[in-house]
Amino acid sequence: MGIFLVATFILLLLIGIPIAFVIGIVALLGITNIEYIPEVTVPMKMVNGLDSFVLLAVPLFILAANLMNSGKISERLVQFALAIVGSIKGGLAQANVLVSMMFAGVSGASQADTAGVGKILIPSMKENGYDTETSVGVTAASSTVGVIIPPSIPMVIFAGITNASVGALFLAGIIPGILVAVAMMIFVYIIAKKKDFRSYERVSAKTFFKLLADSIPALLTPIIIVGGIVTGVFTATESAAIASVYTLLISMFYYRTLKIKELPKILFDTLALSSLSLFALAAASGLGELMSYYQLGVQAQEFFTNYVDAKWVFILITIAFFLFIGTFMDAIPAMILFVPVIMPTAAEFGVDPVQLGLIVVMTLAIGLITPPYGLCLLLAAKIGELPVERSFRAVLPFMAIIIAVLVFIAFFPDVAMHIPKLINPSLF
Amino acid sequence: MDKAVKFVERIQIALGLFFLTVFFVVILFQIATRHLGISIIWTEEVATYSFIWSVLMGAAIMVNRREHFNFDVIQKKLKGKMKLGLNLFNDAVLIVFNIALLSYGIDVVNQFWDYTWTSLPDMKMGYIWIAVPIMAATMILYSTNHLIRHVKEFLGKGVQS
Amino acid sequence: ACGGSDEGSGDSGSEGEGSSDSIKIVAAHNQTNEENPYQDGLLKFKEVAESESDGNIEVEVHAGTIGTSESELVEKLKTGAADVVLVSPGFMTSTGIDEVNLFAFPYLFDSYDHWESVVQGEVGDEMGQIINEESNNDFKLLGYWTAGVRHYYGKEPINSMDDLEGKTLRTQTSGVISDFWEQTGAVPTSVAWGELYQALQQDTVDSAENAYPYFVQQDHHNTDNGQYITETGHDYTTRFLLTNGNKFDEYTEEQQEIINQAAEASVEAEWESLYSQEDEYKEIAQEDGAEINQIDRQPFIDLAKPLQDEYAEEYGVTDLLEKVREAK
Ligand code: NA
Ligand code: NA
Repeated sequence: MGIFLVATFILLLLIGIPIAFVIGIVALLGITNIEYIPEVTVPMKMVNGLDSFVLLAVPLFILAANLMNSGKISERLVQFALAIVGSIKGGLAQANVLVSMMFAGVSGASQADTAGVGKILIPSMKENGYDTETSVGVTAASSTVGVIIPPSIPMVIFAGITNASVGALFLAGIIPGILVAVAMMIFVYIIAKKKDFRSYERVSAKTFFKLLADSIPALLTPIIIVGGIVTGVFTATESAAIASVYTLLISMFYYRTLKIKELPKILFDTLALSSLSLFALAAASGLGELMSYYQLGVQAQEFFTNYVDAKWVFILITIAFFLFIGTFMDAIPAMILFVPVIMPTAAEFGVDPVQLGLIVVMTLAIGLITPPYGLCLLLAAKIGELPVERSFRAVLPFMAIIIAVLVFIAFFPDVAMHIPKLINPSLF
Repeated sequence: MDKAVKFVERIQIALGLFFLTVFFVVILFQIATRHLGISIIWTEEVATYSFIWSVLMGAAIMVNRREHFNFDVIQKKLKGKMKLGLNLFNDAVLIVFNIALLSYGIDVVNQFWDYTWTSLPDMKMGYIWIAVPIMAATMILYSTNHLIRHVKEFLGKGVQS
Repeated sequence: ACGGSDEGSGDSGSEGEGSSDSIKIVAAHNQTNEENPYQDGLLKFKEVAESESDGNIEVEVHAGTIGTSESELVEKLKTGAADVVLVSPGFMTSTGIDEVNLFAFPYLFDSYDHWESVVQGEVGDEMGQIINEESNNDFKLLGYWTAGVRHYYGKEPINSMDDLEGKTLRTQTSGVISDFWEQTGAVPTSVAWGELYQALQQDTVDSAENAYPYFVQQDHHNTDNGQYITETGHDYTTRFLLTNGNKFDEYTEEQQEIINQAAEASVEAEWESLYSQEDEYKEIAQEDGAEINQIDRQPFIDLAKPLQDEYAEEYGVTDLLEKVREAK
């Protein structure tokens, strides 16, 4: 039966059935095959999968990111980033990475960054003599820090599945996210020297401070969000609501770039984007239910204790597995399906839930730039008008950077955990 | 058919946006009241259920607009009748799956209509479960519309070649 | 779809062969922690059912794997996706059966002896019938379990009711319970269980109430706002061990008997496990430096009594309430 379901899954996927429906169909077929479980379990589990307070953060974070883009805050952040690193070799590419870091502090997802920043920077990189590969590669790869640096939708979902502390996960993402970005900037510097990319003129001190003042309200957002969660002033969901209200207020009244009449369009985009990923989550809950009846978690635990029995092998297998899953599945359904399966084993090997969450989220972030289903890669390729195969080749060296940081963090977790433990020991 | 689809979609968008807004406002209300030290117990349930409604309506709208993520490797390689045939088949798969969802969804509504919300005992769970058959029914409508268009194209191609 | 023995593991070719008399029972509770008394109870159920039936009955125990929320488990019980589940009175209410609320009244019981005699006696039987009738046989009561006796714990010990004045207290927010705490002067506050540790540590909430095995396992007694435990003993909790009545009726008489026998054994096992965990975790709390004090419960009991009367009338359980009081 298992083989039949996997074959159906692959077949339906290949012929172009939307992935959320593929998941739902396989769930229904599987449950129909188990005589003692009624088929109504599938639609029921889909709704029950959505019936969770933490999930409300998803549309709220998406709304905040949409407001950033519509309110032209992204444009200002790009200007500011250029003012800081523009004069270095390969300034535009450097700014591309830096602005993704800033964007990551407001946005819980990565796609909004690729779309918003990509639209501005890919054309202007091309105009300034960068090859299309580099422009697309840097844009797609650097936007993955969006889900590593807090806030992060995948981290919220992981916390919801495992009951790990959202605040701790958020704090744990800061150092790895910065490491990834800094390593990318170093790499960009090296290829910029080799390919002799232009640098931007240094801006005057006056312009710099004007841009700084312009960006400060936007850059305060991460402090509000993360600070609010860590000090217990608000929950993760509430912080997402505060973030969107805050971005709404600053773009309407401080930047004055957003008009009331644009709001319905922004709301519709939020509805569209969030229901796409959340419907996939609902379907995955249905399939996850099937997997619970097969007690895959218990089986995985038995397998690992019988055949592996080494924590580091478990961690490497987890990374390899989610790397594979991430190539064709979104982070949210991937976690809904497989985090419950590996949890019992992780607990047995003494892997801290926060550490596991960081590893899983970072691994799935790589999935954002791997074909066939890497949303950021697809988006950037579309903006740059570059075939996906060539975009993927451009992204490969950056992928190596993320994997290197990921493996480093996986085996020296204290590097990531230092900040959270320092700021708030009670989270552990 | 196109007119009916447009009309239904418009209502569905209005519903989706309405519930998204309700959910958003209720969350803000919850934050405000909690910081004022007033405990209002229904906010969490109202927010979550509005959220469920908006997601299910949004998912159906995205079926109409064919925006659910899928792989188009094979579709892109095929041409002419083969391609249209595959599109037809895919429409049919979605319709069959949604017919199943619709019938099980109605079953769920019947079984659990009278269950009540935890915080507002006067509210019935039926108001939530009914979103499932509504979603499935509209998905069937949208997919059937796609199917009809693909059949027309398929027949049209047949005449030409 | 019921009554099958198909495990769905690969080749499922044995249709019809003796599957009519062998059954599979999916038993589930919502606690993911396998050291929970619920798990001990359901494992006992499995052991007895499987050994007494010579494998004719197979029991699959799920510790939170097919649902961590009680309402989801109740729904599954009704549709047949689960066969034996555990539910608290608060969640039974949402199925439209108000009478079960009786067991959630504060200070309804004054000791485990009192509680045991009530649930094992006339009131227990009547409640079982009410549940069965009002759910149209969807739910059939197999036995009464407990999740322990709940006490107050907070940032200061309470020596009299006045000490509760203005203190935010994390508690259930359903009718009678929040009314009761409001009348003591406390401010009932809703905090998710998973977020409570942090809330107590960071002074988001002043206090909470629960049974030793539950809050000590979560380390609440090691937080700033959870280190003073006052044994208010306001709730000897009741949990319903339920099965689906319609499915139960389809079993053979012998199978029904075995299931009842297994349920009885599970009740004993769960009580025993809970009682010993209660002592164990109280000791752990003390060793960890939490302060435990006693309080005169009479003023609380006096406060609860009119509330019990009022709500009993609303739910139509005045007779049952009298019988509970007489059983003291
Ligand atoms: Na982020
Ligand atoms: Na970027």
